Amino acid sequence: MLLAAPRFALPETVAEALTALAERPEAVVVAGGTEVMPDLLWRNRSAAGFVSLRRVRALRGSTDAAGDLVMGAGTPVAALTSAPDAGLRAAASSLGTPLVRTEATIGGNVVSALPYRNLLPTLLASGATLELSSATGVRTVPFDGFITAPGRTRLAEGELLTAVRLPRHAGFADYTKVGRRNAQFVATVSAAIVSRHGGARLAFGNAGPTPLRSDAVDAVATALLDGQAEAGDLRAAVAGAVDPPEDAVASADYRRHALGVLAVRLVTRAAVDAGMGS
Amino acid sequence: MSDEVEFSLTVDGTAHQVTARWSESLLTVLRDRLGVRGPKTGCAHGRCGACAVRADLGDGEPHVLCACLVPAATAAGGIVDTIASIGGPDGELSDVQEAFLAEGAVQCGICTAGFVTAATELLADNPDPSRTEIEQALYGNLCRCTGYGRIVAAVETAARTRREATR
Repeated sequence: MLLAAPRFALPETVAEALTALAERPEAVVVAGGTEVMPDLLWRNRSAAGFVSLRRVRALRGSTDAAGDLVMGAGTPVAALTSAPDAGLRAAASSLGTPLVRTEATIGGNVVSALPYRNLLPTLLASGATLELSSATGVRTVPFDGFITAPGRTRLAEGELLTAVRLPRHAGFADYTKVGRRNAQFVATVSAAIVSRHGGARLAFGNAGPTPLRSDAVDAVATALLDGQAEAGDLRAAVAGAVDPPEDAVASADYRRHALGVLAVRLVTRAAVDAGMGS
Repeated sequence: MSDEVEFSLTVDGTAHQVTARWSESLLTVLRDRLGVRGPKTGCAHGRCGACAVRADLGDGEPHVLCACLVPAATAAGGIVDTIASIGGPDGELSDVQEAFLAEGAVQCGICTAGFVTAATELLADNPDPSRTEIEQALYGNLCRCTGYGRIVAAVETAARTRREATR
């Protein structure tokens, strides 16, 4: 432990981090700080202490294991902008600014669990899994279903997200979002696609209280990719599947419409990538 | 229960022993506790880059970051270089700073230290950046005065001058 105080811990290993968290159950686990620090400044949240993961070296970096890209939860988003996955690269490259991306981490993006977070649609479309570590061991859970409500996850007390696993694939992947301006914007809505073996799998951000996907939407997206459906069919399927929020940024109707547009845009890009023309 | 933590921090080559609240940002520690006023408080939430510093926080390679986003105590034992480390010890300007002056890239000045810090890192990594690469590298720095044209021109000038000097 590099530094320990009643309300603060700076562990160097996952084991030290778990111990520090057990001793400070009310503390906020902070990785890069890019969300927590502004939240404290604006009093959007309070914190009874910090357990920092910044110095836990084992949580940083990526490896290949059994066909999965395994990314330590503390891997900075900046490193993901050159990840061997086009969907992840696109989502990471449009997150914040270069000065934020060096600090923001993939684990923080997941555990913050807000439906507009950049990386989440890509993780959902890719069929990502999460490694959760606790004093009793490591369990692996699907990302699909991990987030239960805005800001809420299935992470148990005393448990840490330690890695995100993305299945490697040779297909097409991409991410796109729309916001209120073209620079440094949070997604009003967002969408990600993974397309392989002629099938399309879509996932959406800010399309509901949690990242969202639907077998019915994917069936229509796959038909559109195959020339067996029209763009309007996919827009209708998306509109029927999503339940977007209504807030000061945009109406639910706008979001429903924009999600359909993004879905068609991504399937069109996948079709072009597959040599099926535009 | 104590809200304070104690840690060491080296800023512009000077070692400090810091006592701060556990939630305090690196920017607050630099400016308000250590009197280091090069990094500026702009938006205080990572959008404007006015607080950009180059730091080696024991979490990978040294890099430029927003000091407002880093809880200072997580930087314990770290090394921070501000704009004061970019110029010479007697106030000589670096080539990037000279180019900012020559190109008229400075107006009110609150963003300048951050821009110079980010541009200095860019040129260390990429001695011949394209206009697009410059714009991407400076995407996290905001300027409300210059309209960016003069700033991009300054970075181009600094790059060209440095290439010519080392030819």
